[in-house]
Amino acid sequence: MNRSLAWRVALGVSTAIFGSSSGHAVTYMTAAEARATLVPDAQAFVDRSATLSADQRTAIRRASGTSARGPKVSVWEARGTGGRLLGWVYVDQVLGKHEYITYAVALDARGAVTGIEILDYRETYGDEIRNPRWRAQFRGKALGAELKLDRDIRNISGATLSCRHVTDGVKRLLATHALLFGRA
Amino acid sequence: MIRRCRPLLGTFVEIAAPPGCAAAVEAGFAAVSQVHRLMSFHGEDSDLARLRHAPAGAPVVLASETMTVLRLALALHRESAGLFDIAVGARLVRAGFLPLPAGIELAACTGSSAELELRDDCRAVCHRPMLLDLGGIAKGFAVDRALAAMRAAGAEGGLINAGGDMRAFGEHAFDVDIRSARGHVERRWSLRDQALASSDNAASRRRRWGRTVTPHIGFGRPLRNRRVVTVVAPDCATADALTKVAMADAPLAARMLRGRGGFLLSPAMEQARAA
Repeated sequence: MNRSLAWRVALGVSTAIFGSSSGHAVTYMTAAEARATLVPDAQAFVDRSATLSADQRTAIRRASGTSARGPKVSVWEARGTGGRLLGWVYVDQVLGKHEYITYAVALDARGAVTGIEILDYRETYGDEIRNPRWRAQFRGKALGAELKLDRDIRNISGATLSCRHVTDGVKRLLATHALLFGRA
Repeated sequence: MIRRCRPLLGTFVEIAAPPGCAAAVEAGFAAVSQVHRLMSFHGEDSDLARLRHAPAGAPVVLASETMTVLRLALALHRESAGLFDIAVGARLVRAGFLPLPAGIELAACTGSSAELELRDDCRAVCHRPMLLDLGGIAKGFAVDRALAAMRAAGAEGGLINAGGDMRAFGEHAFDVDIRSARGHVERRWSLRDQALASSDNAASRRRRWGRTVTPHIGFGRPLRNRRVVTVVAPDCATADALTKVAMADAPLAARMLRGRGGFLLSPAMEQARAA
């Protein structure tokens, strides 16, 4: 995806808990749904998740200009008929200024990005994310309970948020991929 | 409802549709991606890049989508007496909102929309060098294109939300919260078969030479509005563009919207409309 535009933003859900106040969250799909959506031809996904060493994390930061949130990398190999390698799917999280986003990136067998899906989105303001009671309100929804439009989810207009953190995250995953699998 | 979200147009684009409409959702995202590819200021292979690199006076062949946006933008430029101007790119680069594209001499980019000619259905001519930026209109246009693609793919209803610029179609009414940049819900609106766009420049103002500037409003224009402005219109390109006009001149935006079947929603704007 292009690093794009100074265009501004909003999305997600405000919860009734806050009345007219801030936080909102939405789950779009699970990691398994994202894998199946991003590589529809895959017959199987092989878990190739890894833990990066300190040196590897430094190398990725130097190559991509952004730091990973932790040493764990969640990645699956997509296998087609006859076990043919179709590509990979990474699931990653980015913490922006006011938002916490889980997203999935699919790469083809050559390591080129073929798709990005947002899995879930939580909005946070400052200390709220460290407050267990604030986090607890999202717990049920993050576990894949189907969210009913207009009841749990509100459509929001007027907030401001850019997808830059996700774009930076994708760059970091490409650097991670080159390091782990020697391509991209 | 199926509900999907992807990072596009510099923001998060969300599409909702009834169960069984997964193909229509894909078609909607494909339409948004196409607008992203054609109209990104940042891409060096976009129609905008081809326009800025062409010599002044030379016709440039553009995609029909781009021609449609330019036609609407020029109509709004005339109707707003120059307030809505997509040749705002050079000012946005100077103010730090956009990067300077490679190979462009900023000082030479002095043209306005008045010097952009649409020669026919597929060619545009910049009679003076200019930097076009469609950030004030293309997001709404992308929503409209997504809707058309979803309908063509068989969806009877749905909602497309491109970073707060959204449009609903079909029988279903979607509740929309309109928030300020501080996160407070200012009001709610039930959106049914119409488009809604909001702008709040609290997060994108810059101080420059002791004055406050914000994207898509001509430099030197006072910022009369300090709140979120919300526009409801039959289509999203109009709603998107008119929020920029409303930010600088609410009564003018209200007049322009009247002829287009739309209106301003924010309480402050409603007062301005009545005045």
